[in-house]
Amino acid sequence: MAVRLHPDADQLVDYSSGGLSPALCVSVSAHLHFCDACRLRNDQLAEIGGVLLEDVNPELLGECALDEVLSKLDENTDIASKVVTGPQDVEPELAKLPQMVRSLLPDTGPRWRFLSPSLRVSKIPVGETRYELSLHKIKAGGKTPDHDHNGLEVTVVLQGSFSDESGVYNEGDFIVRRPGEIHKPIASQHEECISLSVEEAPIRLVGPVSRFLNPFFSFNPQ
Amino acid sequence: MLVDPSRDEWSDLLSKVGMEKDKEAFSRLFAHFAPLVKGFLMKGSSFGHELAEELSQETMIKVWRKADSFNRQKSSASTWIYTIARNSRIDWFRREARRQRILEADDLYEQAEDNPAYLSLVQLRNQKSIQKNIKTLPQEQLEVLTKIYYEGKTHTEVAEELVLPLGTVKSRIRLALKKMNLQLEAEEK
Repeated sequence: MAVRLHPDADQLVDYSSGGLSPALCVSVSAHLHFCDACRLRNDQLAEIGGVLLEDVNPELLGECALDEVLSKLDENTDIASKVVTGPQDVEPELAKLPQMVRSLLPDTGPRWRFLSPSLRVSKIPVGETRYELSLHKIKAGGKTPDHDHNGLEVTVVLQGSFSDESGVYNEGDFIVRRPGEIHKPIASQHEECISLSVEEAPIRLVGPVSRFLNPFFSFNPQ
Repeated sequence: MLVDPSRDEWSDLLSKVGMEKDKEAFSRLFAHFAPLVKGFLMKGSSFGHELAEELSQETMIKVWRKADSFNRQKSSASTWIYTIARNSRIDWFRREARRQRILEADDLYEQAEDNPAYLSLVQLRNQKSIQKNIKTLPQEQLEVLTKIYYEGKTHTEVAEELVLPLGTVKSRIRLALKKMNLQLEAEEK
């Protein structure tokens, strides 16, 4: 199925030029995994970087620079021999997630926290303070609490699908929610839904259970 | 003095480094690209000589280590090396901010080999068109575009620095992309 929702041009440009925050960077990467059209756009934007690189005035390096670099080339060659294990060994259902997402998860599997009977969340530390990245898993047919946002929220569907008042979202969809856009995601009936989420500030739950659930959403940047 | 090989030859050299770990080929790439990477890093306001030197060496070491993932069908040598330099710059900023260095920039970006079914149509032809059209951009568009690429700043940061509304920065970029024949608006299906 074709991906329906994409990052906008500004986000792709900031991604390509290296300015996007790490958590958002991961969400765009996850989208690119599913979306050939945006991969093409991203390749085109990288070409701008290539052209600009060729266009600068070269700055001479120190006389010994090449020798120094040559002497370091044979160090640390263990990159290629990395053993391919991952969280999928513990949770086989994660095997279908994009490799770049799996590589961000601990080999022992994500540490899930139960936020409601149908919603589990696992934070992914990316070393930044403004945005928080996490993996969400909603049981098939599971409903999540209504929530609002204090800041930007980006969700990328990695597996399965979910819906809310505004539509159905499938694998690869890049869903942007802004403050005030309260929504209540529900996973599709036939399979669980795994998604990646970036939140700018703690989510505010609204409704009767919020008082109990809110502490779990405490903003705790790594 | 070495005759400058054409871009295709840079890709040949880079492929050779990737496949044969050829240090002679690497040295020629180094002679051409290391000073460009250094110049690129100094073009932004953040890096002085010493730091740019260190980062350009770091970039070239990564070029050596990762050369086997270079795919000439997908990008030119200069574009590929640009992304390595960009990631070195991101890593430097993250180190500098004394944030816990949990992940490297490479972990944050999508890797081509992640999706083998995908084959990009973008090749040198595309780069030539960008190269030609970038020269014709109005100064105000070029200024914003180069700030974003050379300095790794976001639209928002550039808007603050130039004291412009964010919308103006966004529309300058969009106009520039259009002039370079890059169609980036995702059309809803």
